[in-house]
Amino acid sequence: MTQASPSFEGETRQSRATPALRTILVLGFLYLFLVGVSMLEAGIKAFGADFQADLLNGVDHPIAGLAAGVLATVLVQSSSVSTATIVGLVGAGTLTVDAAVPMIMGANIGTTVTNTFVALGSARRSEEFRRAFAGATMHDFFNLMAVAVFLPLQVATGFLSRAAEEVAELLGGNVGGSTAKSPIKTAVKEPVGWIKDGIDSLTSSDEILGGLLLGLGILVILLALAVITRNMRRLIASRIETGLNALVARGGGLVGMLFGVLITIAVQSSSITTSILVPLIGSGVLAVRNAYPITLGANLGTTITALLASLAVDLQAGLVVALTHTLFNVAAIVTFYPVRRVRYVPVQLAERLAGLAVDNRVYVIVYVAGLFVVAPLLGIVIFG
Amino acid sequence: MVMRFFRSHEPASLEQVQSQFLQMLTHDRDAFDAATATLLSGGDPASVGPTLRTTDAKVNELEREIRRELVVHASVHGARDIAAILIYMSIVKDAERIGDYAKNIFDLAAGGVSFQEAPDRPAMMTHRDRVSDMITEAGEIFAADDHDAANLLLAEADRMRDVYDELVDALVVSDGVARDAVPRALFYRHLKRITAHLANLLTAVVVPVDKLDYLDEPRDPAP
Repeated sequence: MTQASPSFEGETRQSRATPALRTILVLGFLYLFLVGVSMLEAGIKAFGADFQADLLNGVDHPIAGLAAGVLATVLVQSSSVSTATIVGLVGAGTLTVDAAVPMIMGANIGTTVTNTFVALGSARRSEEFRRAFAGATMHDFFNLMAVAVFLPLQVATGFLSRAAEEVAELLGGNVGGSTAKSPIKTAVKEPVGWIKDGIDSLTSSDEILGGLLLGLGILVILLALAVITRNMRRLIASRIETGLNALVARGGGLVGMLFGVLITIAVQSSSITTSILVPLIGSGVLAVRNAYPITLGANLGTTITALLASLAVDLQAGLVVALTHTLFNVAAIVTFYPVRRVRYVPVQLAERLAGLAVDNRVYVIVYVAGLFVVAPLLGIVIFG
Repeated sequence: MVMRFFRSHEPASLEQVQSQFLQMLTHDRDAFDAATATLLSGGDPASVGPTLRTTDAKVNELEREIRRELVVHASVHGARDIAAILIYMSIVKDAERIGDYAKNIFDLAAGGVSFQEAPDRPAMMTHRDRVSDMITEAGEIFAADDHDAANLLLAEADRMRDVYDELVDALVVSDGVARDAVPRALFYRHLKRITAHLANLLTAVVVPVDKLDYLDEPRDPAP
């Protein structure tokens, strides 16, 4: 062992890929991610207008859209995948922006299930579980509060999507129509065209073509995000660690929030960021309130994926939905965080729930099943 | 801090943990030297006490800091460095205990014991000098991961612990007065415990995690 690297360090290290190789891999899979979104868009278009009308009718009601967003995200365990898919649907003209916004909000809620599962790892140790469960569910409560306030406002006034349209126009797009043919889009469409031609030569059925493109698109998105997330996590692990050590010592605040944004943008997954925090909170190393701003930053940082996905779609509406996702999270932070009495309401609610959960684990099952499965299913059945 | 996130050239956390661990040992040696100087060379307990307490607080804070950093490291990297994490978790306790035994030696002096004029002071000074050097040597061997040197020092520590046991046993059955025998027995007992904790941390260099601290059992030959 050398002085810089004790021999027992990294004994089980699985991969010795260099940072340069990892960076190239990430860029390659980022391209593949965009190809996946474009494939998804092409698949939906291939299904034809009837499929699009049916899908739109299914989530036309905001509650149904919200529920679909929660459920889809819980199923794929990634808001990055679900929001990229929603952007693809909007970009293909299948979903309207107004129908997509509640789904995006639902994705925000659904993504928190992952760190709730991480907290369950402490379930046998009461005090650790109390902290970990509170640390995990404060994210849920913040998102629920945000949806409770901003979904009705959005439905009544469309303020979020209108603001997103303004920003999209400022960015140089024509919101009503196609985006300009950027070099990225051209590069992304090219392989999708080859795949489409290949499938076309094997079948004349639009349903088969659409189904294959849709399935392949989702698979490619899942694979690309998984590879990007894993490699980025390794690339920036020591930076995450350095930052967390500083935050553990000094507390969070706005620096913590920025830190959450940066980590999440880098690893393309709020679940990774918040799942790193939960064991720290559970062990008592990071106080719930110090972790809270980092979680909010993760909420905001995760919106980068939808913005990236919008680079690959035809219609500017895809960008509008992606920007709505960002503005929704910005609006929630700007509304709740500065007011001290409101700021910690999600934390207080989470701590209260954690107290109940410690006393009786049935509350955990009721809460997780209720919020992430039963309520969304009811929302779809009743309002869909 | 946010900008540092992008241009961080700070050492990876386990290297930082190692450096903090070595700092603990440096503080331990300082505390041990100050405590034994008070007991053996007539240092003023009133002036050494506050310094010793400050050093002890630094050692304790470093122990807590290392533990926090290890939890952060495990959360970020998962099971990758689990062996290192468990080893550090175990040996920081040894480093902290060495500081505590230094304080116990000081407490003898603070309680009025002085070996400055004792006839056996030269022997005590020899033991003291060797233990003091061993604190630094153990840290250096640990940092260098030097298996051969670790085995040599472990063997020496074994012998020293036997010597201290014999000295304590002889004092227990001696005919001397209690005020002579008891402080000496305590002094040698504390030296034995410090040597044992140094040996514990050296086992991290030569044995797997599950065998840490088991000094009396035969060790696998170094690879």
